Amino acid sequence: MRPRKVLRIARWEVTKNAGGIDRRTVAVAVVGLLFAVALAPVVAGGGFALEDGIYRVGVAEDNVYHPAVASDPTFRVVDPEPGLVAAGEAEVLIADDRLVAADSEKGRAAVAELRTTVQRFNDARLRNESNASAAYPVFPVSLEYAERGTGTVGGDGGTDGGADGGGGGDGGDGGSDGGGGATATDDGDGPGVPSGGGGGQFGVPGLTGGVFGGGTSGGSPSDLAPPFPFGSLVLAFVFVIPLNFVIQAYGSSVLGERLNRRGELLLVSPVAPREIVAGKTLPYFAGAAAVTGVIALAVGGGALSVVAVSALALLFLSAAFVGAMFARSFKELTFVTVAISVLLMTFAFVPAIFTDVGSVALISPLTLVVRDLTGTGVGAGGLAFALLPTTLTALLLFALGTGVYREEDMFTQRPVHLKALDALAARIGGTRSLTLVVAALIPFVFVAELLAVALLFALPGGLSLVLLLTAVAVIEELAKSLPVYAGFLHGRYERTVRVALVAGAFAGLGFFLAEKLTLIVQLVGLPEQVPAGSATFQTGATAGPLVAGVLLLAPLALHVVTTSLSALGATRSRDGYALGLTAAILVHIVYNLSVVVFLV
Amino acid sequence: MIEVRDLRKEYGGFVAVEGSTFSVDEGEVFGVIGPNGAGKTTTLKTLAGLLEPTDGHAEVAGFDASDPRMRQRLGFLPEESPLYEEMTPLSYLHFFADLYDVDRAVAETRIHDTLDRLDLEYRERPLGDMSKGMKRKVAIARSLVNDPDVLVYDEPASGLDPLTTNYIIDFTRELADDGKTVVFSAHNLYHVESICDRIAIMNEGRIVARGSVAELRERYGRTAYHVYTSVPVEGSEPVEGRDRHERTVESMDAVEATREAAEAAGGRLVDIRTEDPSLERVFLDLAEGESDAERAVARRAEEGDAGAGDAARAEPPGADE
Repeated sequence: MRPRKVLRIARWEVTKNAGGIDRRTVAVAVVGLLFAVALAPVVAGGGFALEDGIYRVGVAEDNVYHPAVASDPTFRVVDPEPGLVAAGEAEVLIADDRLVAADSEKGRAAVAELRTTVQRFNDARLRNESNASAAYPVFPVSLEYAERGTGTVGGDGGTDGGADGGGGGDGGDGGSDGGGGATATDDGDGPGVPSGGGGGQFGVPGLTGGVFGGGTSGGSPSDLAPPFPFGSLVLAFVFVIPLNFVIQAYGSSVLGERLNRRGELLLVSPVAPREIVAGKTLPYFAGAAAVTGVIALAVGGGALSVVAVSALALLFLSAAFVGAMFARSFKELTFVTVAISVLLMTFAFVPAIFTDVGSVALISPLTLVVRDLTGTGVGAGGLAFALLPTTLTALLLFALGTGVYREEDMFTQRPVHLKALDALAARIGGTRSLTLVVAALIPFVFVAELLAVALLFALPGGLSLVLLLTAVAVIEELAKSLPVYAGFLHGRYERTVRVALVAGAFAGLGFFLAEKLTLIVQLVGLPEQVPAGSATFQTGATAGPLVAGVLLLAPLALHVVTTSLSALGATRSRDGYALGLTAAILVHIVYNLSVVVFLV
Repeated sequence: MIEVRDLRKEYGGFVAVEGSTFSVDEGEVFGVIGPNGAGKTTTLKTLAGLLEPTDGHAEVAGFDASDPRMRQRLGFLPEESPLYEEMTPLSYLHFFADLYDVDRAVAETRIHDTLDRLDLEYRERPLGDMSKGMKRKVAIARSLVNDPDVLVYDEPASGLDPLTTNYIIDFTRELADDGKTVVFSAHNLYHVESICDRIAIMNEGRIVARGSVAELRERYGRTAYHVYTSVPVEGSEPVEGRDRHERTVESMDAVEATREAAEAAGGRLVDIRTEDPSLERVFLDLAEGESDAERAVARRAEEGDAGAGDAARAEPPGADE
């Protein structure tokens, strides 16, 4: 890779495209970007707060509800003077463990908001609980809440009382004289509130020291709101949005080289395809990084956010590059880039939602952004876990795409499956490169297997297991054997039994090593998240070295044997490969089932 | 300067080029002609290093055609060369000059000199606003930006008006006169005939004939003899307005037989005129298919010109001088 050539191509890419965009378009784009950046913090903060202070709540500073009320800007805290509600100077009064609300639309809305606020406040306290199992018990706990005191102050002609209960509660029986005066029940120890509808009383665990009213809450994890860093996620989303535009432009540029053979003259110049690809990619990557930097400055992110989003940008660009190299028209490219956007946004976001739940969320670099924005630190292991798989996958995609950056694949309507084989074959020479290529396919194998798990786990137990083991066998055998088949197809290997066995052995070895390396990385990077892996090692240790050795080497034998079967078929023809692959899959399924039946 | 030996290129199951062998000397203009799908473009792209041979060997300027160092010595002009239409000729040519590591000052001079020679006046106008002929001139200028030793031009004048076509063909000849080795394909056989030192005729992926235009005519062409007699003989037609009859034959034996027939009928042989075969005729004969060409040669051999028939059939791949 010659930096000077790469930079020259990068400069050309910028000036060439800049010539096609008029200044007005650039100005509009810049204004749009600035607007988005400026709007992000506002959106993350919950939007424009027009409702601030609309409900007045009388509560003393030493009251257990005061912190909850004070935490919500919707409420304005006023002194808890008696008769406050009746005088129309507050919507809610909390005093002496009793709650009195105005019997009006606004009063009921205030109570409803208060219920939500208390629940949110309690959730926050749960999150801050150092003992996580106490905060989120594994087994359901039934909590029963007793009505402590409800009351309304009639403002519009009476009421049926605060405790009109409903199915959700069992404690509300507070009465009302309905006469319009300030009345209250006092049949409990705590403040009572009107339910305002069929939902019953406040079904909230009263961590503030009391409860609002009757109602039963399951108390199971499903009833508890999980920790959800909403604000930080919204900001993280702002980081990722520009990537979708960048890959559109980048994909169009790559495909533009292919249509009408525009890129043919670059191929005949003394520049390697990898230099062309690097030069064409550099401006888009730099642009994405620059925009990320600007957003980071605007929303308070740091270098960690920029690094994390840059890794994601590389993944987006690499996927778009491969898509553009395989697409045969702009119509196909549109479909491809939209699919890439959806899939990678999902990959980035879904794990990040669980940032506060477990370290496994670090599989997405966006989790680093969330942690950066929330001020949560991340160790070197976590950093590597978040960045390395993404970056390596991106580099692998670039390598595969560059393999088909040549005359025969770029400018012809060659079928996609043949292009895929070309891409693999371009990286294969001898046995070492075959081993590396097969090992490099591991991230794709994991993604495909995760997808299979997601699709199949919902089926009935036995069927789900069999189908899952079959899917795993198919995915792994394809990943191991396709590079071998590509090697034979492109004349990289002599079509003999001996060569097939050697190629099969090295491909199987590559897959085995990558599989084990991945496990070790998981154990080192996220030790607390890989109990299964730890258990495996412990089992080996307790079962003795012989059994441990067998357990360790059995997969190696499997991978070597099955890949050799596929390779033997591949020496003959496409049909021969299909036959060999089928045999390999069957052996793999039998192995998987045996392991499940006899060892698990 | 160029050596091609047993070249074979296969796309999937389709064989585009099979067993091509030829060489091109320094400063020579070598034409590759043949019908569409004959394998001309595949051969030229293999020389340019764009295609990897399935089998065989191609060497250009002392390097294997797939060797990146070869590209520094090569100027390639594809049949269709869409340019980056947002760029101007100067920015476009300077970009490629940079890729070829041409010194900035040298590139500046060379680009302007080439554009002067090509009579391209508009140099700061976007390429998208230019005519097809202007764009083709820019493409040719790009092929020269690195001052290459070898030029591989695929249909350099394809789709251009006659004036521009002649201009470009003459320019190509000038480049050869400057010492550059040129390999080019064209459909217009007049152009091929006018500037090529040697020619290879391809059909269905194979080189079916090669040599200078004169050699090809001699080997494969059928010289026509127009025999005029004072009396009608078998196969003759009266010449309008003149008291003679014309019979066209393709061998001296047939001429003699005509003379004898005229004398037997009480007349005499009045005149004989010979007509040399055109390259187009040779091309069409060969392009009709190898078997047809072989039949034509075999017919000639039967008619007594055994030498030409032997030359055509016996020339093995690689026997090129």
